[in-house]
Amino acid sequence: MGLVNLRKIRRAKQEIGGREVAVVISPRPEQTRLGTTVWQTFKSLLTGMKITISYLFRPSTVVTQQYPENRETLQMFDRYRAQLKLVYDEAGGRLCNCCQICENACPNQSIKIEWTKNPDTKKKELERWIWRMDSCTFCNACVQACPSNSITFGNEFESAVYDRRLLVYTLNDKAGPDAKVWSAIEDPAEREKLMRKMDRYSGPIPLSGTSLPGNPSGKEG
Amino acid sequence: MSVKVKTLDDLTLPPPGADSPLSTQEYFINMGPQHPATHGVLRLLLRLDGENVREVIPVLGYIHRGIEKIGENSSYRQTIHLVDRLDYLSALMNNWVVSMVVERAAGIETNDRIEYIRTIMAELQRLQSHTLWWGVIGMDLGAFTPFLYGFRDREYATDIFEETIGARLTMNYIQPGGLMNDIHPNFVKRTKEFLEYLKPKIDEYDELVSGNAIIQKRLVNIGILSAEDAISFGTTGPVLRASGVPYDLRKIEPYGVYGKVEFDVAVGQAGDSWDRYIVRVMEMRESVKIIEQLIDNIPEGDYMTVKVAKAIKPPEGRYYGHLETARGVIGCFIVSDGKDKPYRFHLRTPNFNNLWCLTKIAKGWKIADLVAIASSLDIVIPDIDR
Ligand code: SF4
Ligand code: SF4
Repeated sequence: MGLVNLRKIRRAKQEIGGREVAVVISPRPEQTRLGTTVWQTFKSLLTGMKITISYLFRPSTVVTQQYPENRETLQMFDRYRAQLKLVYDEAGGRLCNCCQICENACPNQSIKIEWTKNPDTKKKELERWIWRMDSCTFCNACVQACPSNSITFGNEFESAVYDRRLLVYTLNDKAGPDAKVWSAIEDPAEREKLMRKMDRYSGPIPLSGTSLPGNPSGKEG
Repeated sequence: MSVKVKTLDDLTLPPPGADSPLSTQEYFINMGPQHPATHGVLRLLLRLDGENVREVIPVLGYIHRGIEKIGENSSYRQTIHLVDRLDYLSALMNNWVVSMVVERAAGIETNDRIEYIRTIMAELQRLQSHTLWWGVIGMDLGAFTPFLYGFRDREYATDIFEETIGARLTMNYIQPGGLMNDIHPNFVKRTKEFLEYLKPKIDEYDELVSGNAIIQKRLVNIGILSAEDAISFGTTGPVLRASGVPYDLRKIEPYGVYGKVEFDVAVGQAGDSWDRYIVRVMEMRESVKIIEQLIDNIPEGDYMTVKVAKAIKPPEGRYYGHLETARGVIGCFIVSDGKDKPYRFHLRTPNFNNLWCLTKIAKGWKIADLVAIASSLDIVIPDIDR
């Protein structure tokens, strides 16, 4: 039995379920004389060899990212979903108004929003915006669901840590009122008084000797 | 009709020399669940006589996550991101089938732009899946070079997805009522570049692997699956078509905009590993043809026709829809009781059936052939277990 002549692709019409379907029919091995088969076999091996060797001389088709050597120049696509972030307006006010729609949209209960009611203004004030990256599937449902576009995915993908509990993030660095209240106040000093500083993490103390709170996994966050 | 269930008695070993001229004894060996040639956590229990495979018993369940059950406790939108994790190489098609059924059930309309983009994305995913498979079958047959080349070419398609969707594997892109976001401004340009890049590469695949005499000897006339067997095992996709049955839902029940494009269904003649191999290579060329016809004609329109925040509540009833993934027919069955979560969420996945024909066609071949046959079936294990 000889080799397959790959060019011998037949086009035809075949019937299935009372319908005519245009098909291409696969090539099959042909009967050839022994000498032809031997010649074709050697030719096929050399053709393959030719391709692999030719790549020695045109390495420009390499698509591999030389990570981490190219860490400085590596450009991620801007839509890449890696790290959830809160969005702030130009004055620095946080857009999120604690409506908790994202919390309900999340299929994995990865979001928890803790808020308190300010007794003076009767407005919700954000306490902690907790994102559990360890159970997040990066489905984007929260970002899509948020009515005020207050969250977004950033593309900082280096998020490996040594303890799973370090993947519980508090996304807001300050607790307090949202942008509507914040931006209405002119005086920056007055504004700051409304806010309390929040640590980035406040779960149980993790294993592996990492110091907490405030500086999880040893890197400045 | 009765089904014969295997008992342990059927599986006990015959005494030495019972049906072997060499007085050899049969033995069992486990291939997997951690074995590179089973492409995931699949365990094949092999009854062997020396190196001859007497029987293959697939043992499943190592990556069962209960996706159907989780789906019954999630809202219709939330179920979409779960089906990414069935056949992760056909994630967009899986998204599409659930969206299709939910749209049908809830009476959600889509527009032409959405259908065009969905079709292009599905074909890109088919190309991406087939390039990966081509690399992997090369590796399973003992050639490492195709593996690198396949992954290299897949990378371009994955970059297209990453730019538009923001994820490379589990994308959650096609949703009830439309798409997660509009195509990136670079999408059309990048896709055209990719097609121009890929066309000569498919010819290169032919020269490097398809035309290779050793590869052909490893595939031709090995593991023949007849058309009758293929149908009775319920196989679909390239496995069924390689047996000579031109069953392709893109032609038979055109969904998306497949009704508007010209393409041929690749079929085999004998149903051996070679046909399963070459059918996929031919399919890549057809996919290129489909995308070329669509990419310049994407109409204007919205990318989402409904409000995302509004819960979907289909009326009571049973709904079914199916479409063609890179591996065969995926079907989605939803029973709705009028609430915002499905009462029953069931998936008919192609790989389960495609795997099972291995029990028939691998019998009598050597272990090395079993690897080639399993690779030519192109199974993805999470799709089998769900
Ligand atoms: S991306 Fe998905 S899983 Fe992650 S927090 Fe948002 S909604 Fe939850
Ligand atoms: S992030 Fe958006 S959806 Fe979530 S609580 Fe804040 S405003 Fe509401």
